[in-house]
Amino acid sequence: MPAVRAPEFRLPSVGAGEVSLASLTSDGPALVVFVAEECPTSRLALRRLAAVAGELVADGVALACVFEDPLAVAARTARTAGLEATLLSEPPPYATSQAYDLVSVPTAVLVARDGSEVGRVVGWDVAAWDGLLALAAADVGAAPRRLPDDEPRQKPGCGAKSTYDEATMRLDAAASAGSEEIEDLFELGWTDGLPVVPPTRDRVTAMLGGRDGQATLGPVPPGMGEATLERVAACAVLAGCRPAYFPVVLAACEAALDDGFNLNGQAVTTSPPGQLIVVNGPVRETIGLNSGMGALGPGWRANLTIGRALRLLVELTGGGMPGGLDRATLGHAGKVGACIAEAEETSPWEPLSVERGFAPGSSTVTLIAADSPLSISDHRSTTPEQLASCLGWAAASQWSTNWWPLAATSLFVVCPEHARLFADAGWSKLEVRTAIYEAVQRPARELRGFGEVPPETMGADPDAAIHKWSRPADVLLIVAGGEAGRFSAVYGPSLGMGAEVVSREVVT
Amino acid sequence: MTDYVSPFDPRARGDDPLAPRPDGLAGRRVALLDISKNRGAEFLDHIEQRLRADGASTARFAKPLFSRAAAGDLIERVAIHGDLAVEGLAD
Repeated sequence: MPAVRAPEFRLPSVGAGEVSLASLTSDGPALVVFVAEECPTSRLALRRLAAVAGELVADGVALACVFEDPLAVAARTARTAGLEATLLSEPPPYATSQAYDLVSVPTAVLVARDGSEVGRVVGWDVAAWDGLLALAAADVGAAPRRLPDDEPRQKPGCGAKSTYDEATMRLDAAASAGSEEIEDLFELGWTDGLPVVPPTRDRVTAMLGGRDGQATLGPVPPGMGEATLERVAACAVLAGCRPAYFPVVLAACEAALDDGFNLNGQAVTTSPPGQLIVVNGPVRETIGLNSGMGALGPGWRANLTIGRALRLLVELTGGGMPGGLDRATLGHAGKVGACIAEAEETSPWEPLSVERGFAPGSSTVTLIAADSPLSISDHRSTTPEQLASCLGWAAASQWSTNWWPLAATSLFVVCPEHARLFADAGWSKLEVRTAIYEAVQRPARELRGFGEVPPETMGADPDAAIHKWSRPADVLLIVAGGEAGRFSAVYGPSLGMGAEVVSREVVT
Repeated sequence: MTDYVSPFDPRARGDDPLAPRPDGLAGRRVALLDISKNRGAEFLDHIEQRLRADGASTARFAKPLFSRAAAGDLIERVAIHGDLAVEGLAD
């Protein structure tokens, strides 16, 4: 009987790019096993094969499983079966399965190194599969490997997907979509470590809201993936955003990609900064951003998901994944995402956006490279001077205890009760910022006895007053939080980045 | 499979492969890049001495701020003046 030539194929693999039959048979025979995840007989075959897979490969027999499933499903199914093999995925309409005249899965095909099909077993039959393994062993001059002699020894397979018409498959896919999707997205690596919302085409289209998905915000550091609006929208969907949040997400991404913000440095540094988003203006109300009780989180979808969307853009589109290009020694919880809003209605002062030159009533985002927040309790100060000193000195250990001056920005989040104490004394926002700056200073000689001190302070006149911050402008302030309780907070600085504070108007 | 929209750009930088290693240092031109991290110059001073003792010639370059990517013209100058490059990375 003339040798039947096995049809060539080239399919995407888990972890090894595209793999062809020719490459599998370049050094010896290949056992090609067609399977589908939802077929119990396929999963049985994979579990049994797992026992001999390593030995087969060591003998010089290539073992490839062609899944009629996406790569993520293939990876999960093989991992569950304990199988290590070349994992291939063929998409609908399953051209490779059709080329092999597949009727059911599993089907095992042994292909010799000359590309001819030398054996085939349909369904599960231990004796017949052992026969294929014996043929393979003979080809490479090795002892035959035997599958575990366990029950069941025989099982019929399941209909191959290639034998179904498209309409039936579509109905089936819709019916089976569910919790496995979440696991599949973990397999694909489309996550920051938390479950994500699957970015289906419909959801991304809704997120885009008619915007051109191919328009771009530019490359995202550190890997310089292009931030097309479609990818930004995909990140927003993954993060759990509603479409109404997308204008804020876009503005935040634009600000983060401003060269002055130096996202590249923040994304790869061993130091901890995340990207803190501060939102001002009417958009806070429109989309339900919390600036009141528990303003720094958790509990509010808009706050949590907008911050997360920006971080997913950095991690996925930009490739800045912790442990990968992101080399942060510790990082901090705010790197999952940090988006807060100013309580403008409670504040006695002009909002941050107005301080930064935007018209009253504008909706804006302001990006700050920020360490984790430090809570500051002060329930006993009775004068604005005492309170400013307490807030400022709480921040005196930011970055490092004796690293004065900081040369970076700190953001004080002043609670309403503290803000009222200042306002009742007639202090403006600028006067509070200046008072905090002025309160925290020490003579250089007190700092110079320690190891971690900036060179300019080491070289300064011993009696020179060294402030914690290089300039008053590095002390920023917003009002947020619940009406009761005298707890303010300060977000730490990010040194070494030369990171400017960057604001953008939210365009709705 | 459901039609998902990927957040990834397939053209983004991934893991760059290592350049071929040199078979020796004698006669090689080595570019020494100081990224302006604390004590980076001190480290490169020592490296420079060792390289010269092994017969290499050296040229020094510096980035203005360690946390910003090197500008294109700096990378070009390093490539023009060096067969090899050593970067003083962190403090």
